[in-house]
Amino acid sequence: MKNLLWLQGGACGGNTLSFLNAESPDILEFFEAYSVKLLWHPSLSLESGNKVKEILNEIVNGKIHLDVLVFEGTVVLGPNGTGKYNLFAGKPMKDWVREIANIADYVVAVGDCASFGGVPASTPNPSESVGLQFRNKEFGGFLGREYRSRKGLPVINVSGCPAHPEWIMTTLSMILKGKINEDSLDEYNRLKIIYSTTTQFGCPRNIYFSYKVGLKEFGHKEGCLYFNLGCKGSFTRSPCNLILWNNQSSKTRVGTPCFGCTEFDFPTFNFFKTEKNKAELPKQLPLGVSRGSYTMLSAIARSAAPNFLLRPLVKKEEKVDWID
Amino acid sequence: MTNITISPFNRVEGDLDVEVKYEKNKVVDVKFISRLFRGLEIILRNKDPWDALVITPRVCGICGGSHLYSSASALDMIYNAEVPKNAVKIRNVLAMAETCQNDIRHTYLMFLIDSTNRLYEKYEFYPEILKRWTPLVGSSYKEAIRWSKKYTEIYAIFGGQWPHGSAIIPGGVTTDPYPNEINKALGILKNITSNYLEKVILGGDLDQFLNTVKSVKDLDQWSEDFPESDLGKIWRFGNELGWHKLGFGSGIMLSYGHFPKDEYVKEVDREKDLIFRAGIYIVNKGELVRFDQKNIMEFINKSYYKYTKGDTIGLHPFEGETNPNMSGDKGKYTLTKCFRYNLNGELITPEVGALAMLTVGQNPLILDIVNKLGPSVLARVIARIVRVSIYHKLIEDELEAFEFGKPTYKKPNEEKEGKGYGLVEAPRGALGHWISVKDGKIYNYQMVTPTEINMGPEDPSNNKSHVAKALIGTEVVDVSNPVEVYHIIRSHDACMVCNVH
Ligand code: SF4
Ligand code: SF4
Repeated sequence: MKNLLWLQGGACGGNTLSFLNAESPDILEFFEAYSVKLLWHPSLSLESGNKVKEILNEIVNGKIHLDVLVFEGTVVLGPNGTGKYNLFAGKPMKDWVREIANIADYVVAVGDCASFGGVPASTPNPSESVGLQFRNKEFGGFLGREYRSRKGLPVINVSGCPAHPEWIMTTLSMILKGKINEDSLDEYNRLKIIYSTTTQFGCPRNIYFSYKVGLKEFGHKEGCLYFNLGCKGSFTRSPCNLILWNNQSSKTRVGTPCFGCTEFDFPTFNFFKTEKNKAELPKQLPLGVSRGSYTMLSAIARSAAPNFLLRPLVKKEEKVDWID
Repeated sequence: MTNITISPFNRVEGDLDVEVKYEKNKVVDVKFISRLFRGLEIILRNKDPWDALVITPRVCGICGGSHLYSSASALDMIYNAEVPKNAVKIRNVLAMAETCQNDIRHTYLMFLIDSTNRLYEKYEFYPEILKRWTPLVGSSYKEAIRWSKKYTEIYAIFGGQWPHGSAIIPGGVTTDPYPNEINKALGILKNITSNYLEKVILGGDLDQFLNTVKSVKDLDQWSEDFPESDLGKIWRFGNELGWHKLGFGSGIMLSYGHFPKDEYVKEVDREKDLIFRAGIYIVNKGELVRFDQKNIMEFINKSYYKYTKGDTIGLHPFEGETNPNMSGDKGKYTLTKCFRYNLNGELITPEVGALAMLTVGQNPLILDIVNKLGPSVLARVIARIVRVSIYHKLIEDELEAFEFGKPTYKKPNEEKEGKGYGLVEAPRGALGHWISVKDGKIYNYQMVTPTEINMGPEDPSNNKSHVAKALIGTEVVDVSNPVEVYHIIRSHDACMVCNVH
């Protein structure tokens, strides 16, 4: 039996709900297959009140061995470093986190909030929130740079707002099988196998991206959302178009721009508009592309764009002013 | 007098502390203490108004789509947006799919598992309860885990993902579905209807349930005809366990109404143009009165906030302020504000949620239950099941009414100044966002959530909110295991994370 404890700090609960959407295995099959005992979970457990404090104290004083601590939400430090904006079972949640992180074999930050600070930590950060081991890009966070869990690993991040159930499951199952080491993790301590591609991998609009054909207004299947409508898919590392959401879709598939919710700097705001420079080119370029080569490539690509991409695919419309 | 604090009180979408005072076995006072603050209203200040469509869903992991809908509707109003019929249909489907997901998860994962409490051991049907509703292993619990996520597939087909899609925007939706997507959603819905809703919950045919069960008597009959259904068991066991006499509360039902029937410009008439109308229902008078958002106000005399004009006044959300302050003001104890509605000079403390929505919406079965037995723990659980059943039909209607080839979006003119509000029926009840925009940026953003309405703190005349009223006077069998308190609070599908945002 492996013991797992799940706690929520400055959270919306979205990662819990996302986890509940897991399909194969679903959460019950997962617990069974990996012999996981869920010690306590805020939304799933029967126990309330003193019983919960008992469980937590037994974990802290070593009576119950904790294999995995999963934390969802930010560590709330406000106001003025007191942590009183997030009291839990009689004391600031931050104190529980510190005590429990010290004795857990592994610590997993689920979601962007726990990983990097996410929405609550965005300007002006009213709750003085931080991630478990990052504050945005900066390594350290609440537990500090040097923190290592009992098994010698930093906090393992599953970023995303929320994280996809398959990303959570994959990370947890690799941990439970003892198959995770520093080499499996990227520079943000996330599983490389999940976070190495960009949202653009598998996006059906990618052909429009290649030929620089942009969409000017929402509500259409055609066109790429990068040029005018704020899509961050070309510089956001996520497998959202490879491992589909709810077995069905993704933001860019339904014409919503990618907001970059797996990244350390989420939320960057101005989500539905592309910021451009004087030459009318997007300020933020695709991952790893230089401005010079981008400018050159754009001009050639646009002039090579096949005709059928410049008009609606199936709709009959007299006036088409929504394709760039 | 005994004073017991339940900390943490979980399964309320987050945790809160509940302080209960007993005289012998009777609840004589109660305080709901929410101690979480993220300050999303503060974060939204000075941001692009559209950014609210990304930030506000993050208020809540289980009803983010409702926040999105509120936010987009408020912006529709500010931008004088024309919302095409197709967009209305897709928005409605998104909201209903999310709510069905919620109602199933709430019923089984949050509420019903308390029925396995050892207090009920003495009942002969206790083994049946354990068999069905025990967390993680009960047969119906497992079915709920298996099927509740199917609704999120319907959501994702049009909303991209659930939780936290942002496909609803001022002027419509971002998506432009083809008929195959409409068909797929219909297929998933049909699958849930026949293999889950009819099999496990209702026990019988959905149409037959909707067409024939219109009164308490009909529901008794249905439970006899389909005794193996969860609905039948909940109704029968609930009556035997006394859930129909538990947690009456304020006796005032408030609903903002939901789901425009057709295309509209800017906003709709909330009494005429919605599938479920808005209104306030006074239970003991059987009277339905008009609702006007102008009469809403929020107090902070017991909450850790400061108002510039003093802490005893009430502010309409357009004038609302969010200035947290935890420094030693006596008597303040929570980070939730206090909602009141001014009904002809009287500050009322309504109940919101599925029960209120269907009562105000004139659903015959729910109205009959409320009029005959009063609003109770049992009535609230039943209302959620009835709502899911109705939504199954409505999702189908809305999808069938979608006209491929017609627009799903009409680009609005982004006004730089203006005020707007967006009102919806979130899974937990009446939810509103009030936005002021100046110089093209958010100047003030205020959200008033259902859990705040149901269980906020006292107002300056020390009047309690609805759930506190529902608890006070309740006799519990065992003070150290107050399952009656659990039932009353959880029957309201409380949500801490919305509550405090
Ligand atoms: S920029 Fe966005 S819409 Fe365009 S191809 Fe990439 S992910 Fe898809
Ligand atoms: S598409 Fe972008 S914003 Fe959406 S979930 Fe994926 S990474 Fe996050």
